Amino acid sequence: MRISDYIGQAGGNLWKKKLRTFLTTSGVVIGVGALVCMFAFGQGIQRNITNQFKKLDLFNYISVFAGGRSNRPGESSDPDDHGGHRRRRMRDVQDVNHPGPQLNAQALERIRTIKGVEAVFPEMRFPAQIRLGSKEMFTLIQVLPAEACRSGLIKLRSGACYASDEPNELIISDTLLHRLNGPDPEAAPGTKIEVATLTLDFSLANLLRMAFSAGAQALPFTRETYAFTVVGVAGQIGFMGPLPLQSDVLIPPGAAARMRKLSLTSVWDLFAPAGGGANYSSVSVRVDSPQDVEPVQSQIEAMGFGTFALMDQLRHMRVGFLIMDMFLIAVGMIGITVASLGIVNTMVMSILERYREIGIMKAVGATDGDVQRIFLFESGAIGLLGGLFGLGLGWVVGLIINEVINTLMVRQGAPRMNYFSFPWWLCLGAIAFSILVSLVAGIYPTRRAARVDPVVALRHD
Amino acid sequence: MDVDGFIETKDLGKVYTFGAVQVAALRSVTLSVARGRLIGVTGASGSGKSTLVNLLGGLDRPSSGSIRVDGRLVSDLSKKELALYRRNTIGMIFQSFNLVNAYTALENVAFPLLFAGVAKKDRLQRAEELLRTVGLEARKDHRPTELSGGEQQRVAIARALVNQPQILLADEPTGNLDSKTSRQIVEILSDLNRHRGLTVVMISHEQALLREFADEVIRLHDGDVVDREVLRQKP
Repeated sequence: MRISDYIGQAGGNLWKKKLRTFLTTSGVVIGVGALVCMFAFGQGIQRNITNQFKKLDLFNYISVFAGGRSNRPGESSDPDDHGGHRRRRMRDVQDVNHPGPQLNAQALERIRTIKGVEAVFPEMRFPAQIRLGSKEMFTLIQVLPAEACRSGLIKLRSGACYASDEPNELIISDTLLHRLNGPDPEAAPGTKIEVATLTLDFSLANLLRMAFSAGAQALPFTRETYAFTVVGVAGQIGFMGPLPLQSDVLIPPGAAARMRKLSLTSVWDLFAPAGGGANYSSVSVRVDSPQDVEPVQSQIEAMGFGTFALMDQLRHMRVGFLIMDMFLIAVGMIGITVASLGIVNTMVMSILERYREIGIMKAVGATDGDVQRIFLFESGAIGLLGGLFGLGLGWVVGLIINEVINTLMVRQGAPRMNYFSFPWWLCLGAIAFSILVSLVAGIYPTRRAARVDPVVALRHD
Repeated sequence: MDVDGFIETKDLGKVYTFGAVQVAALRSVTLSVARGRLIGVTGASGSGKSTLVNLLGGLDRPSSGSIRVDGRLVSDLSKKELALYRRNTIGMIFQSFNLVNAYTALENVAFPLLFAGVAKKDRLQRAEELLRTVGLEARKDHRPTELSGGEQQRVAIARALVNQPQILLADEPTGNLDSKTSRQIVEILSDLNRHRGLTVVMISHEQALLREFADEVIRLHDGDVVDREVLRQKP
């Protein structure tokens, strides 16, 4: 028999029993629709999370810290560290005086020469008060080399990066500028800002002042003020910024070195000489692409440093996503299983109704294979229709649920998002899966049809 | 060409098993039918006539003995070979016509060509020619339920001829028809035998028709051939 004849036979026979075909196909439509909807929701959530990470450029960074303890999956030696939740330990970060290799300028230079490394800059932050006019606010200032600043890491709304690592110039986030009641971002470059830091001061004068005063003044701290000029206003830095830019104010290393300050990255900085900073507690390494993370990480670890990359965490997340997908598929499979029983029932009924016809087919020369294929095509056609309409149903239901979620989330102040994702492979896979399930459901009835004894069938009423 | 022994059976037996009970439908039938003959098979109900035709048509397998058609051992064919034998060598006609009610007369006639892989256009063209041969061209779009018994049997004859078989097996083709229509049907079969050279094996209880049209008549009783009468010789 020709393929076109199998299709024609299947279509004709299903059309003759419209109501039964409709009801059986409806079962498949609901099953496939539920499965597609669940899977698309899982895919949508995964896509949104991964996209958010990519948008923040989080996969292109490796944090390097002194101490040589890696937090890569499978490499933890802590017996209590179950389930892959290996967190970066403060001990690793703070262990600047670890006997291992020092994370200093030479180390940075060596890391910079590794293939795939785009930029290396120390993660240096220190607390400061910044004042614009009469408004004063507390913030964390981050030291960012001019080269890293110019690497495209920062999306400047106005102005430019500082020209070198030396001048007392800074880049400020648009949000902090707004909070300081500063000018519009476009008018901000050139604005003078005062930066005040706290430092330890064990000088005799200060000790005397501490001894004869009360309250906050009774601490071994002294305030230093520095004049800075705004050269650029950046959007999306600070808390919502890319991984290494977690501060609202960025200054060049030269200016930072001239400042007396307390670093927040290490308690040892409390005792470090002012203007020092030969050793860093941690360093951010930006790589060309996420594919470079693993090889670069390995080479840095071979130097004796510890590393941390969100790319590693993505692997854990993928396992989580897989478990979520499996759960959603399992729920969706209930519908498909019920639908497949419907197909078996329909096919058995169809074969019983056409028992005599099967006898006629065989009497006029049909092989067992011809008979089996005729019914398998019918079964597959139910699957194809169920898959197509099920995909449509899943899409429509997804659209409705998406609207409902968005309506609720927007009221909470969250941005509009697409919570469902229908990639092409999901669409094709759903149709193929529906056909496959229908064919499997049709195996038993069609084998029964193929084994029909023509002599008995021709006598059948 | 093997004139004598175109269809040959040797010690052909068929036993049906119903639980612990065994029923011998055919005991030991040895026959030789020459090509181009019209053979009448008669006998009482349960004598094994239909069993013999089913075995000759490859619808059933013998329990013992052998069947040879045109020198080919049919009783040893595989399932698939047997289906091809039914498709290419045999045309079958039944008492109850066995037409597919969901199809038109034209589609019923074309039905066997579906399994032969013939294109739809050619199938319908050949079926229309055969309906014209049996005088039913005007009823081609009618379903079996809209046709008389005689018309249905003529459609069944056209269907049996569509694959150009060498042998026509008719299992009581006049059993459900009145005498006038029965005569018309047997005339068609006789005409096919004479003018197309088809070998025809026809079961019938109507002795008069058999004596008028058959070349020889075989009488079965309790699964055995008890009489064989040659009525006329062919050149």
